[in-house]
Amino acid sequence: MTQFLQQLTNGLSIGSVYALMAVGYSLVYSIMNFSNFAHGGVIMLGAYFGFFGLTTFKLPFAAAFALATAGTALVAIVVERVAYKPLRDRKAPFLYFIISAMGASMFLENFVIATIGPNPKPYPPIIPREPIALGDLALGRLDLIMFIVSAACLTLLVLFIDRTRLGKAIQASAYNMKASALMGINTDSVVILVFALGGFLAGVAGVLYGMKYMVYPTIGAITLKSFIAAVFGGLGSLPGAVLGSVLLGVIETLVAGYLSSQYRDLIAFVILIGVLIVRPTGIMGKAVEDKA
Amino acid sequence: MLTVRDIHVSYGGIRALKGVSLRVEKGEIVTIIGANGAGKSTLLNAISGFLKLGSGEILYQDKLLPKRPDRVVKAGICHVPEGRLVFANLTVEDNLRMGAYLRRDKGAIAADLDKVYGLFPRLKERQRQIAGTLSGGEQQMLAMGRALMTDGDLVLMDEPSLGLAPLLVQTVFDIILEIRALGKTILLVEQNAYKALDAADRAYVLEQGRIVKKGPAAEVKADPSVRAAYLGTESNTAG
Ligand SMILES: Nc1ncnc2c1ncn2[C@@H]1O[C@H](COP(=O)(O)OP(=O)(O)O)[C@@H](O)[C@H]1O
Ligand SMILES: [Mg+2]
Repeated sequence: MTQFLQQLTNGLSIGSVYALMAVGYSLVYSIMNFSNFAHGGVIMLGAYFGFFGLTTFKLPFAAAFALATAGTALVAIVVERVAYKPLRDRKAPFLYFIISAMGASMFLENFVIATIGPNPKPYPPIIPREPIALGDLALGRLDLIMFIVSAACLTLLVLFIDRTRLGKAIQASAYNMKASALMGINTDSVVILVFALGGFLAGVAGVLYGMKYMVYPTIGAITLKSFIAAVFGGLGSLPGAVLGSVLLGVIETLVAGYLSSQYRDLIAFVILIGVLIVRPTGIMGKAVEDKA
Repeated sequence: MLTVRDIHVSYGGIRALKGVSLRVEKGEIVTIIGANGAGKSTLLNAISGFLKLGSGEILYQDKLLPKRPDRVVKAGICHVPEGRLVFANLTVEDNLRMGAYLRRDKGAIAADLDKVYGLFPRLKERQRQIAGTLSGGEQQMLAMGRALMTDGDLVLMDEPSLGLAPLLVQTVFDIILEIRALGKTILLVEQNAYKALDAADRAYVLEQGRIVKKGPAAEVKADPSVRAAYLGTESNTAG
């Protein structure tokens, strides 16, 4: 039982970081109806921004964190302006957006490989390694921080979308851009806002993930998992993205703990695919249209 | 109030408007009739800032109209779009409140909400209902009510009677007159020429992107070529 609870808490912690990534994905998807594959690149940059903030610039953690998240929000906006806006203005088919997204992703990755180098770098040890004992459970401090920070960010995001005027504009635009524009909503600003929010969350996720593992140029590949988690939960649905991610994190950790860590991803994905076969819209998704 | 001067609009290579000019004066109901594909929706979407003009200009209250949809709304033009486009996932009341997105004066918004509910008692009864579950006629009313909530002075309406049962078509046209009585000016695009010409003060006939006829609605209605092309017999166009 203790071992199970131990795995469960680990799973919740990594799942919550997946959720940060998946929500960024889902937000953009809900407005633009395409999968922003450049998101992984932005997460990767967030990990590097945090790393250089702490090492090269010797900033205190909070400042490095702020720098990283502001940086990724900005990068996400630039990606939108450069890679997607020209396509939006021309009302290009969705396939073009996907190709552009992949191009942006490759650019970011190779830019980092060319300028910083391909080798993984460890974050400096800011969080003490020794766990906090809670009865028989040993909670890793970093795991706890990952969970708390992710949960706090997601809660703030939900409140923002639910309670504020701009949040309403996001909801309306997610439903229908034209109808929203007819209400006087500047839908172009909504797109920028959504990329900024997704970029901010990507920065948070990048720093947390980098602290847990390491920083390397292909770290963004992890978003494949959060992407699948978002699909699993129901693309475009934020609660779905969170639920799918947390489930993925927990399933993964349980499989690694009880079966084998080599089969971790394999089994996790088989379960996810199984769910999608039974429920193609994902757990909380709406009716499926053929969107890329 | 609104002056459209020789506008051209194309979709890629397809020329949808080939030099359209028209005027709408304050307090008028002006209708544009024309067959499917004539360019009626294109015209309204161009006014609303969704489409780029190839050439020509649009003036509203003697000023150039901004070229972005949200700014057009801010300038005082609201648009009830083809196909209604209500927020199907929101309640009736939340849809109406979305219409007031740009407005800050809570008192005025509440007063307008009452006005809209006065105009559409059906919507009042269904205040908390999710808009996607409304009937077609109710959704049309909601789309009109939502547009009124922007507090625009000029209301563009794109085929409000499309796809409605005959009885509801009559209701919609009655409401259009009531909306005018609230002090609004209306530019109404319709395929249902018979009803539209009855409601309107003046009319334009749009054919393949060109205005081919204009005048007082009664005159246009009496015009033999219009009768032949758009009116047919009264009974088969009323429905
Ligand atoms: N998005 C579009 N892309 C290409 N052609 C279009 C588009 N919308 C309308 N058209 C064309 O422009 C012309 C006018 O269409 P429209 O304004 O919708 O007519 P109406 O509203 O009078 O039925 C038609 O020939 C139509 O096929
Ligand atoms: Mg039309």
